[in-house]
Order: sequence, then C-alpha cells, then structure tokens
Amino acid sequence: MKYILLMSGTKAGVETYHAWSKQDMEAHMAVLQRINKELTASGEFVTTQGLTEPREAKVVRGEKNGVPVTDGIFPESKEFLLGYWVVDVATPERAYVIAGQISAAPGPGGVPTNMPIEVRQFATYEPKPK
Amino acid sequence: MKYILMMSGKKSDFEGYATWSKQDLQANVAFMRAFSKELKDSGVFVSTEGLGWPSEARLVRAGANGEPVTDGVFPESKEFLAGYWIIDVDSPEQAYKIAARASQAPGPGGKPANMPIEVRPVLSGHADLGI
Repeated sequence: MKYILLMSGTKAGVETYHAWSKQDMEAHMAVLQRINKELTASGEFVTTQGLTEPREAKVVRGEKNGVPVTDGIFPESKEFLLGYWVVDVATPERAYVIAGQISAAPGPGGVPTNMPIEVRQFATYEPKPK
Repeated sequence: MKYILMMSGKKSDFEGYATWSKQDLQANVAFMRAFSKELKDSGVFVSTEGLGWPSEARLVRAGANGEPVTDGVFPESKEFLAGYWIIDVDSPEQAYKIAARASQAPGPGGKPANMPIEVRPVLSGHADLGI
C-alpha cells in the first residue's frame, strides 16, 4: 500500500527556517537522509521530493480560451506543501511510524521539531462516489 | 526546470465531487487521462498521483518516546491535496499554461471546473536549500 507523507507549513512557519543555524540545519538534514537510507534498505522507499519556498508559488486558472491567469496572493493561513515522501508499506500503522520519525527530526538546538506530518493513501482506484 | 502542479480542496469540495453524475465523472477522468497522455507525448511528463479521500487522512507527530501519535481531526478550512503532476519544462510560463489546461477539466454538465492549480518549482536536491 502506497502512502504519501506530506510536510506542510505556513509562509511564516517556513521563514523561521532561515533563522536556524547551519549546524542545526545539517543535523536536521542528516536525520532525514538517514530515514531515507533506512527506507531504501527496508524496500519501503518510493520517492521523496522537496518543494521551493512558498514565495515562488503561483495559483493558476484557465480562462475560456485556455489563457493561464496567475495569482501569487495567498491567505496568511495557507498551508504550503514543503515536501513529501512516498512509501510502500504493509500497514497504515507502519506509515504512521515513519511519519513519527520524520516529525521527531531535530530542530534548533537539537530539539525535535514535532512537525505534524499528514499521512494519506494513494488513490489506486477510479474516483467514484462513496 | 521541474514544477509541481497541485490540485487541492476542502473536505466539502471532495464531498461535492462525490455527488457528480457517473457521466460527469467519466468525462472528467477521460480528460485527465488525455491530459496525462498529452504531457507524455510532449516529453514534459515526470509523474502524477491521485490521493485517497480526506476522510482517510491522519496527522502524525512523534510522542515523547518517538512513537507515532495520530489525529484525524482537521479544521473545516483545511485544504487537502487531491492530486499532483510533476512536469519538466523550459519556463515557468510553460508550467502555467499546462496548469491552465488542467484547470479546464470538465466539471458537472461538462462545464470547465476552473479549479485553481498551485504551481511551484521543486527542489532538485538539498543543495538548492543552500545546505
């Protein structure tokens, strides 16, 4: 069963990263890389992807003639996707354990960030009414 | 340059989707299939995924001993990711054009849904973060 683990944050939340020391950032990334390695070794790793900062986000709609209309203004409360992992695991509980490990990655001063990680299953079926 | 195109909606939007007629759903799925094929044929396709329903979403944090603490309660206003495409294009404008096309996927009665599509460049590696 494929699950996606989504890490999100508000623009203000993302900006706090800029205040992290280089050492704290390296310690954080080292843990994430270790998790990736462990998932690869256990055969559960599918992919991971980081996104650029929210300030680079645009929202796009198509006009009648297909012309893209872009807008870069979002509500303050908007949660931007920062990155994700896709894992292939036997149970949802295993996906939650992995999400917990990511949430426990160290932040400033080595204290776990305790970031909430949203866990969702991939749709493996045609969208249909429930 | 790789971009991610994200389609999101509130729980109520997903519930609205569940009330579409079979015909409208089929037209939407046919559009999405043709859209993915267009992306593949034009060589910009990287990947696409659809996510399960928000009712199955869980929020996970690590407890004191590292054990996962799960929560399934979200604010009404929460935007859930419904699905995404990753494309590899030459310019942001090309990404916006493709997003506009996705936004025109047909909704009820075949009318374009005009869904907002969020477009962001993706990181090619941690080096992009200056680490």
